[in-house]
Amino acid sequence: MQTSTISVKLWQDMLAGGYRNLKQNMSVIDDLNVFPVPDGDTGKNMTMTIEGGVFATQGDFDGIGALMTKFSRNSLLSARGNSGVILSQFIRGLAFGSESVNEFTPETFTTAYECGVKYAYNAVAKPTEGTMLTVLREGGEFLTKQNFENFKDCFDALIEELHRSLRNTPELLPVLKEASVVDSGGAGIICIFEGMQAVLNGESIDDIDIPVDSSFVDTSNFNEDSTLEYGYCTEFILQLLNCKTDIAAFRLEEMTAKLEQLGDSVVTVQDGSIVKIHVHSFSPEEVIRYVRRYGELVNVKIENMSVQHSEIEAAAAKHEKFAVIATATGDGIMEFFKGIGVSEVINGGRTNNPSADDFIQAFNKVNADYIIVLPNDSNVVLTAEQAAKLYDKSDVRVIKTRSIAEGFSALSMMDLSVDTIDELISDMTQCLPYVASGYVTTATRDALFSGVNIKKDDWIGLEGDTIYAATNNPIDAAMLLFERLPNIDEKQVITAFYGKGVTEDEVNKLEKLFSEKYPLIELGFIKGDQDVYRYIFAIE
Amino acid sequence: MSFTIIADSTSDLNKELRDRYKIDYVTMNYVLDGVEYPASLDWESHSPKEFYDLMRQGKRITTTQVPRELFYDKFSANLKDGKDVIYIACSSALSGSYNLATVVAKELADEYPNNTVFCVDSLISSLGQGSLAIKASELRSEGKTAAETADFLISNRLKFNQFGTADTLEYLRRAGRVKASKAFFGNLFGVKPIIISDVNGQNYAYKKTKGSLNAKIAIAEDIAAAVENPQDQILYISHGDDITSAEQLKEIILERVAFKGVHIDHIGPIVGSCVGPGTIIGFCCGKEVTIKGE
Repeated sequence: MQTSTISVKLWQDMLAGGYRNLKQNMSVIDDLNVFPVPDGDTGKNMTMTIEGGVFATQGDFDGIGALMTKFSRNSLLSARGNSGVILSQFIRGLAFGSESVNEFTPETFTTAYECGVKYAYNAVAKPTEGTMLTVLREGGEFLTKQNFENFKDCFDALIEELHRSLRNTPELLPVLKEASVVDSGGAGIICIFEGMQAVLNGESIDDIDIPVDSSFVDTSNFNEDSTLEYGYCTEFILQLLNCKTDIAAFRLEEMTAKLEQLGDSVVTVQDGSIVKIHVHSFSPEEVIRYVRRYGELVNVKIENMSVQHSEIEAAAAKHEKFAVIATATGDGIMEFFKGIGVSEVINGGRTNNPSADDFIQAFNKVNADYIIVLPNDSNVVLTAEQAAKLYDKSDVRVIKTRSIAEGFSALSMMDLSVDTIDELISDMTQCLPYVASGYVTTATRDALFSGVNIKKDDWIGLEGDTIYAATNNPIDAAMLLFERLPNIDEKQVITAFYGKGVTEDEVNKLEKLFSEKYPLIELGFIKGDQDVYRYIFAIE
Repeated sequence: MSFTIIADSTSDLNKELRDRYKIDYVTMNYVLDGVEYPASLDWESHSPKEFYDLMRQGKRITTTQVPRELFYDKFSANLKDGKDVIYIACSSALSGSYNLATVVAKELADEYPNNTVFCVDSLISSLGQGSLAIKASELRSEGKTAAETADFLISNRLKFNQFGTADTLEYLRRAGRVKASKAFFGNLFGVKPIIISDVNGQNYAYKKTKGSLNAKIAIAEDIAAAVENPQDQILYISHGDDITSAEQLKEIILERVAFKGVHIDHIGPIVGSCVGPGTIIGFCCGKEVTIKGE
């Protein structure tokens, strides 16, 4: 097939193909973890991000520009994880670069693609080469040098170039090389483009039915004798329509003000002619009647809040000056964080990155002038920052904590009675430069890492990304880690969060060994109940 | 001696200092297993080690204020001799002794119109209160009257600064003798409060540090910032049976500030029962305290 243009319909199908192909390969990409810590949900994150776009763009579109605008908005809202955020920004750039495009030609596609690369790079404060950014960028640089007449050649050559770039990622990023893997995000990008290529070539891709995300709804609170106590959590995306309103003159503030009269917990986000609305209301029909003066609904979610426990708490949240939101995994850690002053703990971390929307829902639940976010994972920082940007009802500040240990350190120094947000942040960040994040976990494969010879299933002790010890039991791994940490003598306090399955005997044994060897360092234990990590140490 | 200076059990002045500066004191009492012991500054009932070990074992020790008769007897004996008295009391935010003393002093005023008992609320305790008593003694040696001395103490008492840290806020909290900001709910492992005596003489955990070494550094830095004319001052350090920690604090402070001398002693049983073992406190004279706990 010699296609010299891509119509909106074909492009729509291609995007769906890209999504389906990515979803089929989700677990393969998840497995391309950066060794040795299971870092594993790049595939899932990217799939969920693009899924948001695909699901929101069913039906007919008047040109690629219109399709992409909506697609981009919804990918953005569904984005989770670093890879998801970067992907959503790439899509946003694609949308911006194709705003006035009705059908793609290889030339307009190249322009849009380049714009996508620019947006993707802008999403990251310190772009790291050897990641999906590199793969995307090199694909773009290749496209601009060529002059394709049809899309088959264009996609064939582009995908070949993406593969070449991906193969080269271990040369740019040593951590990949040591683990002998290629970058997982880059691999995800290729899955998307290959899915698109297949559709372009007339092949069809099955939509496999794997639940990417499932949420549990408990209806036991609402039965034939119930009354509507909390109203409905009403969320939808509104497409502003020229036939109904003057979009250029549309003012979001006016809509927000009116929605405030119809309900509370109002969040509105506008991107071009798309408005995402979240409101708690006793009469969602009024809300919908009102907003339809301006356009039509793209999707709607209306949930009775009596069946959503978490939303019930939100209705009762009392207004505070400061609130802190943190991500964490492990029931123990989550409980502990709540106990020391975190208003909302979002379940997530290394293996389950929360989305920007998860953060926005948490922002809504707390009722505060200032919200501090502790992402507690390097892969969640970007999502948190993105959510902070999208939210305008509170002043949201992200303290870039990259681990549970850093998050704990920030919380332990927190004093919510201070007068200003700057003081609060200064208190919480004062110890961060001195916190080391230690872990004990098992190796997922054999490897030689920084001179440490590791067998699959060994207990390994690491600080940050550096492995210091590999041995056959967790206590020795912890002690070797402490012994080999370069500046252990400068440390004063170690807080250990112990994971699922750790016995009291084991804790006592570690405590005894430790206090004999390091009498001047205080070691305390907190039941973390986390998976994956036998121990997480905040070493300060 | 023109007038008599009386401190109390919380001043932590040992016999040597009391003799040198001619300072008398009235005793409060502590109660252990239902038995009341006078809180002697010479540790007559329990040695410091015995006392703090009992606390380490989890024994609850409570305290009582100076008994009325004791004030009455001490004050009237001096007045009978034709002497004025200055009573330098434990902070009124921590003990009822000051208030009781003012009542007793007023009762005695009619009986002894020619002499006066001046009660001075030190707004501090331990060696902070002790150094206020020493200051009174120095003024007395310079020939100041009791009235002049009392005036001076009242106008300058907030210049006596306290910076301490406790292993835990639990003892202070149990004794109802600390105000801590919301920052200290939990009693977080490894987090050390820095406790000052605020403008009302209340112990106030005004900031926190991570680890005991950092706490000592914070105390030293706070002292360096607050002290004036350290070359003329003795650095006073008191501790809850942890001499190693106290010596370490001394070194860290002396690296930053050159004092004329250093005096280290135990925190007496009254303050000790409220702060617990492992507490260390540094005192200096300088800028006026302005912080007021919430």
